[in-house]
Amino acid sequence: MWRKSKNAKKRELRIYFATDIHGSEVCFRKFLAAARVYEADVIILGGDFAGKAIVPVLTQDGSLRAQVGGEEVTVPEAEWDRLAADIGKKGLYPVRMDAAELDRLAADDGALDRLFRSEIAAQVQRWCDLAAERLDPAVRCIITPGNDDPVDADAVLAAHHRVECPELVLCDLGPVTMASLGVVPTTPWNTERECTEDELAKQIDVMLGRLPDGRPCILNLHCPPYASGLDDAPELDATLKPVIRGGRPSIIPVGSHAVREAIKRHPPVVGLHGHIHESRGAQKIGRTLCVNPGSDYSSGVLRGAVIDLAQDGSCLDFLLTTG
Amino acid sequence: MTSSSEASVPAGAASTGTSQSTRLFVRQTSGLVRDLGIPAATGISLASVAVVNTFINFNAGLTDFAKSDMYLPLVAGAVIWLVAMFAYRYLLRAVPRAGGEYVYLSRIVSPVAGSVAGLGIAVVFTYVLSTNAHFAAQFTPFMLSGLGSAFHSTAVANAGTHLTSNIAIAWLSVVVMLIVAALSLFSVRIVARIIFWLIVLQVVAFIVLIGMLAVNSHADFTSALATYSNHPGAYQAIISGAKASGVVFGTSIAAGVAIIPFMVLNYNGVLYSYYVGGELRRPGRTYLYASAISIGVLVVLWIGVWALLRARIGLTFMQAQANLGASSPTAYGKITSLSSVSGGLGYGMILSGDPITKILFATAVPLAEIAVNLAFLTVTTRVLFAQAFDRLLPVGVAKIGERNHAPNVAISIVLVIGIGFCFLTSLVNLGSIVALQSLFFALILLAGGIAATVLPIRRADLIETPGMPNEARKKWLRNVALVGGATTALALFTVYELVAHQSVYGKFQWESILTLVIVLGAGPVIYVIARSVRRQRNALDLDMAMRELPPE
Repeated sequence: MWRKSKNAKKRELRIYFATDIHGSEVCFRKFLAAARVYEADVIILGGDFAGKAIVPVLTQDGSLRAQVGGEEVTVPEAEWDRLAADIGKKGLYPVRMDAAELDRLAADDGALDRLFRSEIAAQVQRWCDLAAERLDPAVRCIITPGNDDPVDADAVLAAHHRVECPELVLCDLGPVTMASLGVVPTTPWNTERECTEDELAKQIDVMLGRLPDGRPCILNLHCPPYASGLDDAPELDATLKPVIRGGRPSIIPVGSHAVREAIKRHPPVVGLHGHIHESRGAQKIGRTLCVNPGSDYSSGVLRGAVIDLAQDGSCLDFLLTTG
Repeated sequence: MTSSSEASVPAGAASTGTSQSTRLFVRQTSGLVRDLGIPAATGISLASVAVVNTFINFNAGLTDFAKSDMYLPLVAGAVIWLVAMFAYRYLLRAVPRAGGEYVYLSRIVSPVAGSVAGLGIAVVFTYVLSTNAHFAAQFTPFMLSGLGSAFHSTAVANAGTHLTSNIAIAWLSVVVMLIVAALSLFSVRIVARIIFWLIVLQVVAFIVLIGMLAVNSHADFTSALATYSNHPGAYQAIISGAKASGVVFGTSIAAGVAIIPFMVLNYNGVLYSYYVGGELRRPGRTYLYASAISIGVLVVLWIGVWALLRARIGLTFMQAQANLGASSPTAYGKITSLSSVSGGLGYGMILSGDPITKILFATAVPLAEIAVNLAFLTVTTRVLFAQAFDRLLPVGVAKIGERNHAPNVAISIVLVIGIGFCFLTSLVNLGSIVALQSLFFALILLAGGIAATVLPIRRADLIETPGMPNEARKKWLRNVALVGGATTALALFTVYELVAHQSVYGKFQWESILTLVIVLGAGPVIYVIARSVRRQRNALDLDMAMRELPPE
């Protein structure tokens, strides 16, 4: 009764996909561990890997002062590693500085911007080294950017021998080809990788135009398709506060029309998406399985998706994971 | 890149905003997932307990054990849950998501152990939903009598007398379930707000009751009882009647110890915010504050009201009333029409002179049951949701409504089964079948204790802090194991007391044992079948969903 069906297709490729970890050290380590735990052949981090905030750690009289989890913490300088680990765990960048430097940063947007870029680049470099150290050589590690990631980070990823960053290019995964794009339609936050829907449609078309006819593909597009159930987010007013209608936050689809059209025109086997943390789920658009694993990085929880593909590129099964 | 030079100060540090190091330099990016803060989590915890339900457990203790007093059991129950609170905090820290014991056991012990707890909890909690609805229905006559008295309407007061038949109770239970289901269709944040305000009403009723007992004397109560009962010596008559029936008065430590399980069950639910751990903002901190506040509120209210009841009503009278009402209802009914199980609310009702307090007391229990059921429905659906997400149940069960962001399919399943249980509870005698329900709850606490005990052994990586020195790390893990061990020991004590007093807490008959075996065994059977079917189809292994990623 429980024997394997003779007609069942065999698994050729297992992908583990996670996204939007926003600088969380714990989540990145979990991402690397996912290759072993879920027995994945390829692990893909689909964008928004950069952290959102810098925690200034004030050095003063042999002690360190910082804000951790909303509370002010003072520890001896010898405990820097532990303090930095605690802060890094939450996806924040701990930076040691004195009071004068803190004031200078608060007054100089340009200096702060440079500091963010250098911290993000340093973290990406560390993560790539960690991937080289921890991953089985047979496992491919792909990291593609999202709208919140500075473009400078791409160069760090591209230069590293252990990590692949196929942004805007096609990437052969064996039974399927993957096309990746981290750009999203305009957001209220005016982030680094944004464009209009028309421009986004053009970029996707150009990339998919290079795909050989009949070749099954995966679309790794950071933005989910519009009104897919994977793109529901609170509606925001001009001051970026949630709009309340009928006593509750108004939830609206904020995905991309261009992505939805691309899925309709060039139906991929699977669509890998992120961007909207609270819209975790899996939906079918036509024949395409679209997945948004969501994100809970601030709690150190890595949300992901395991996807099995057969030799002919078809999707055998998928599983949303929380680890 | 859109970096901002604004030095933003998070809410938690607002009071120290002048300090330089409290600054954070933030970039503008989006993202929110966790919705529930401390007030909402406290609401879920308090609602799962139902503040006014304590009078039912007071009554059960007074009826089932001679020489009962509630001080020791109330304190012991609080201590047991206080210890368990820390054990669950470690579990929530290790696995910060919805699903409770199912998730903890499946990730830390084994998927099979998780499946035992998961399905068992879903079934038993669904049954509890129906018993709560049934209880609210049974209280409808009391509510109508109170409302009739408040509005000087004999029609309303007498309406309750037509709602005492089994079929009327069954339909009233269904109405309660439908009200709860309709409210549950809102998002979890709105549900939490509804629960919170229902809790506020209960707490207000309780505080008003405490005030009323404080300002009235013992003589006021005996006189009010006499007036209410149209029996000038009602107070003494009840005591004499009980004495004639052989009721033994006074207090004893042995009785106090034996009642502890009642009070453990009384507090049961006070930690339930961990069941929605996946929706808590800063889960460890929110859960801990919500649980500690809830335990503190309950200890103050319950011990306070018990002290006042003893001082104003008298322990002897309460022991006499509970026992005479249970053993000789006809003799009791000849003295007074005051319900012998209504406890403090009944005393408040007869002492009350104004319509507002009468309405408050009359509606306290039905509203409390709606709050409890909202909380239990939230908890039960989250357990089903977690199992469906792991593919132990069909994945459709985990489907979230696009409009309300609630697990509508899971809610519908619980509602349909719950309504079925409502009819069974009202129309069929399920007593022997569900006799071990109390034992099940103690076993769930035991499961939580065991999961916390083995957590440092099996998955220390989930609770370790990076950069912690080795000695401190060992000490930390030892503390986690000790708290887990203490919870396990206290849960075992509760199980022992339940088993030792079978005549009170549920007899071991073939029907009750079979039911418990089915409830506990269904999960593993479903797990084995689901895993085999998936293997046959070359699908992803069921175990894979239950693996917890190591953070290092």
